[in-house]
Formats: sequence, structure tokens, C-alpha cells
Amino acid sequence: MIEQLVVEGLAIGACYGLFGIAVAIIYKTSEVVNFAQGEMGMVATFVAFHILTVYHVPFWLAFVLTLLFAAALGALIQTCFLRPAKDPTVLGLIIITLGAEMLLMGLAGWKWGAEQKDFPFILSVQKTREIAPGLELNEWSMGVFVLSAVIMLILFLFFRYSRLGIAMRATQQNVNAAKVMGIKVERVFAITWAMSSVIGAVAAMFFAARSVLDPNFMMEPFMRAFAAAVLGGLTSIPGVVAGGLIMGIVENVFGYRWPEWKPIVAFVVIVLILTLKPSGLFAKHFVKKV
Amino acid sequence: MRRTVLGMFVFAVACAILASWPAHAARPGFDAKEIRIAQWGPQTGPAAPWGAVARGSALLFNMVNDSGGIHGRKIKYFIRDDQYNPAQTKAVVKELVEREGIFAFVGGVGAACGMAVKDYLAQNKVIWVSPSTAIDEYVFPVNPYLFAVYPLYDDEASILTKYIVEKLGAKKIAFFYQNDAYGKSGLDGCKTRMDALKMKLVEEIPVEPGEKDLSSQMLRLKNSGAEVVIMWVNPTTAAIALKTSQTIGFKPQWVSSNTLSDYPLMNKITGGLWEGVITGAFGVPPTADHPLMNKYREAAKKYAPEERFGTFYLAGVLFAEPLVEALKRTGPNLSTDACLKQLNSIRNFQGIGPVINWSPTVHQGTDSIQIQKCGPDSSYILLQDWTSNDLARWKKK
Repeated sequence: MIEQLVVEGLAIGACYGLFGIAVAIIYKTSEVVNFAQGEMGMVATFVAFHILTVYHVPFWLAFVLTLLFAAALGALIQTCFLRPAKDPTVLGLIIITLGAEMLLMGLAGWKWGAEQKDFPFILSVQKTREIAPGLELNEWSMGVFVLSAVIMLILFLFFRYSRLGIAMRATQQNVNAAKVMGIKVERVFAITWAMSSVIGAVAAMFFAARSVLDPNFMMEPFMRAFAAAVLGGLTSIPGVVAGGLIMGIVENVFGYRWPEWKPIVAFVVIVLILTLKPSGLFAKHFVKKV
Repeated sequence: MRRTVLGMFVFAVACAILASWPAHAARPGFDAKEIRIAQWGPQTGPAAPWGAVARGSALLFNMVNDSGGIHGRKIKYFIRDDQYNPAQTKAVVKELVEREGIFAFVGGVGAACGMAVKDYLAQNKVIWVSPSTAIDEYVFPVNPYLFAVYPLYDDEASILTKYIVEKLGAKKIAFFYQNDAYGKSGLDGCKTRMDALKMKLVEEIPVEPGEKDLSSQMLRLKNSGAEVVIMWVNPTTAAIALKTSQTIGFKPQWVSSNTLSDYPLMNKITGGLWEGVITGAFGVPPTADHPLMNKYREAAKKYAPEERFGTFYLAGVLFAEPLVEALKRTGPNLSTDACLKQLNSIRNFQGIGPVINWSPTVHQGTDSIQIQKCGPDSSYILLQDWTSNDLARWKKK
């Protein structure tokens, strides 16, 4: 039974990690926590649902179209909401993302209604395979393990070796110096938001397949993914994924023993860890820039 | 100086007069031509699917008006969207009572929304029939203006538990409940019945309403060896529970409260897993060959062809039926007191819901439910007709 608990915990944890990466990418470049992240994923998932149920196209085509939409949505929000802000503080930008969150939720409610829907995802949570005696693994979990590992690896290499990735890190460290070095920071921000939105959309589709699709369905996963990202360290991509995995396992193992404490046990662990290591488990300690 | 003092005195007197002026002056809720009835309900926002309740009541009022009204008066019906937000409920109810003049409210989704206006309605002597939820505070102690139809959740859970033990022959029963008043009320009813049967639950697992990962809860239920799991949760949690239990190969008989008795909706959001689930119900199935239901089905085609003829929509009709009956019995000399007298004397009234009995000392109209099962293509299979709870605590008071 404990093996199954760990596997289930790792699966949901990988999904938290995947979504946490989306939050972390924006944070890495601009130090802004994007509170609209969940709703951006939610709207993208609704778009996928719409394409699948109205136009009846194959899943993979709908998936690709949705990712294109998600990229455009991310860039659009950055360009239309955050960029026009005059001499913004980080707090001001965070408040703008909260406004965008409300807007997207209202938009989804207006377009698709509040009634819950079943999201027709290609990987089923009901199709399982026995990977060891008494240990089941479903298609959904396999998908999320593979995808989060691949995305983590790509991003790790991207930030370390690609010119754009290095430009993003430079922008995070010092916007003015980056500008002096010829980096078009506004373009970097827009690309960051597009990338983050795409990863968030993938994670949101995974969450929808496990639960139901409605305008509120990403509120709780966002909170947990954000907490997991903080636990692992918001500036470290592998750290964010590790934070998600830890959170998933802690929740499941403690939640099994004390179900009534399940919703808060992970947060208690996070508070304890952050008390000892404020920057998160895997990130370097934050030093204020001067 | 004297002028300043005089000015301040005049200002103070003016403030005192304004403060003592009645904050509201409710208009009478009827005149020679119409009776004004209202309902709040979430037409937008997260709980919008339940907004069908308010629109369902409109069906009955339209039918009444088309047949000449009630003693020459037409029903003027107001629906207000409160977005399932108690602060909004307060605002819309106040506006309706003070600006439009409302004789009675009917239905009203949301326990917190209802609690936000319960005392205000009573203070303004506005009748409120059939709140769309079951909570003790509505009916205990008796509120002279509030009449409930919705069966209490502990009564429903008690009846379902008895059915599970006596008809299904289950020995190992677990309870999976939302960690709030709704879920705990169901758990209480189940345990009262289990105590009477000298049995114990093999597991009782709480869940927070927003939780999206239920793996540990489902594994624990599986480990308990439960043959039957009773769930007192919301539709989203129920959908996740069924999907997750499939993943881990746990296939008990699921039983739930009437709140999950909209089979087409539940089957849709669970990807077909709802088939075989047993639920309580406080109305006959929408597809039933029942004289009244047939009448309503035909009327819906005329008045609301765009509406899905589902459980929530029909609940609106069911909630309005006893109010219409009381207004008919009141006769042409309408007044709040006259209508209250008729409501208090309703005995053995039955529409498409359970038999309703109200008296001046008991305003909980019923403790009866039907037991139904989701069949193929989201069909409704009646397992047990109206059954009351022989252990109902409020009947022993």
C-alpha cells in the first residue's frame, strides 16, 4: 500500500512541479509571481475542450493548436497588461496579474458557462498497468512523469546554454545592465510569458483530465503548485520539480494516515523548511540587489 | 459663536431625525391584480448550474398565470442573480422587498445565502417557502415565516444507510464526507442508523471541498475493505473520487445524497462512471410517467424549450408547488396572515416531491426521500418509493 501511495504522490507531485515550472519561469525573469497562471491554463484548457468537442479534430492537432493559443495568450497578457504599466514596482505587477486572473475567469464563465465538464484527454486515469505486484500505474501518471522530466531537462539546458535563456537570466539579474548589453528586455519578457503559458497549459490539461473542467478548476492546483515551487526554490527549475514531488508524497503519505490534516500538512512542512532555508530547498540564497 | 452653536444644534437634530427614520419601508407584496413572488439564485458564477432552480419555479408560475392566476391575481415573479454570494443575496433581497414589494420568496439556493437574509425576511414579515437546501437553523426553532420542504441531510443518510444494510445486505460500509455542515450532517444521520443497527462504519474520511487529489483517501477506503461507500460531497469531488478509485482498482457500490442526483450531469463529468450509483432523491425522476411530471414536461416545451428538463430545474417547480397551493386555499381575501394560516394547515400535500405536512409548531415539511439508481444512458431507476426516517430526531422533540 505504501508503494502505491508513493507512486500516486509522485504522479500528482510531478504535475504540481510541471505547473510550478510555469510559475518559476516568469519569476526567474521578472521576480513577478503571476497569479493569473492558473486561469491562463484554465482558459487554454477550455480552448482545447472547445476545439475537441465542437470541431472534433484529432487530439494531437487540438493539443498543438491549444499550445499556440497559450503562447499567444501569455505574450498578449504581458504586452497588454504588464508592459504599459509605468515605472511599475513588483507589487504593482503582481496586482495586475490578479486583475488578469479575474478577467480570464469572467471570460471563461461567460463563454463556456459554470457547469462542470469532462475533459476528453488522450491519457486516461482509468487505464492502468501493473508495474509490480499490487502496484498500479495509470496512463495519466506515466504521461506526467515523462513530460515533466522532458520539460525540466529542456528548460535546464535552455537556461544554461541558449542565448535566449542566458538573456532571460541576465534580465532577471539586472534589467538595466541587460539593456546596455543589447538585450531587448521587453521581447524577453513577452517570450518568457509565452513559454510559461504553454507549460502552464500542458499542466492544466493534465489537471483537468484528473478532475473536471470548470472556470474554477485551477485555483487549488495553482496554490499547491506555487507552494511546491516555493518549497523547492522559485529560481531553480529542478528545485521546483523536486518541491512538487516532495509535496505530492508528503500529502499522500500523511493524508493517508490523517485524512483530516491532508489539506494543511504540506503547508506545515513548507513553513518548517522555509524557516530553516528561506530561499527554498534547492535555490541559492536570495541576496537583495543594489 | 451663538450662530455656530445653533448651527450645530440644527445639524444634530437633523442627524437624529434621519437616523430614526425607518431604514426601509417594505411595500405590500400584492394588490388587486398581482402577487409578487421572488427568488434569488446564482445565474452566473461558480454555482450557476444551480441557477436552474429559480428558472424552474417560473415554469409553474407561468402555468398558473395562463390558467387565470390565483383568484383573479396573476403572479409576478422576480429572479435575481446573487452569484452564490451572501453579500449579494442581502443586496438583491433588500432591493426586492423595499422597492418591488414581495409577498413571498420561494426556493433560494445556498445555505450561507439563505442565512444572510433569514432574519431580515422574518422582520419584514415576508413569507419564505422551500429554501433550496437543508439546514437545522431554518426550521429549529420554528420561524413563523419560513416553511421547509427539503429533507434534512441526516434523515436522508439514515434512510439510505437502512436501505444499504437491509436491502443490499452490506456489512462493510464507509462514509466519505465533505468537511463542513453538509457532510457532517450526513455522517450524523448514517451513524445514528448504524448505532440503531448495532453496526460500525469501517471508515469515515473527510475531504475539503476544493481538494483535487484524492489518491490517499481512495486508497484508505480501499484498504478498509468497504463494500459500500456513502459519499456526502459536491459534484466535482464525487467525479474525482470515482475516477481515482477506478485508477487504483477500487470498485465499491457508491451511494450519495440527492445533491448528486442529476444523473446526466454526473455521468457527463465522470465520463460515464456514474452508472450504477445509488442516490437519494426528493423529487420523482424527470423521466417518470407521473401525471404532474407529464404536465410539466409538456409545459416546459412551451415556456422554456431551451432549458434542460433536469433535476435542478424540476426542484424549482417542486419548491413552488406548496406556495401555490396555499395561495389557492387562502382565497380572494389575501393577506400575509391568511396565507400563513393556510401554510400552517397544509397536511398530506404532494406534488412531484414528498408528502408535505406543516403545522404551527413544525415547519420541516418532510423527512421522506426516494431511492434511485443511475441506469444506462443516465436513466433513472426507482429502487424504493417515498420512505420516511423512523429515527428522525426532530419528530421526537
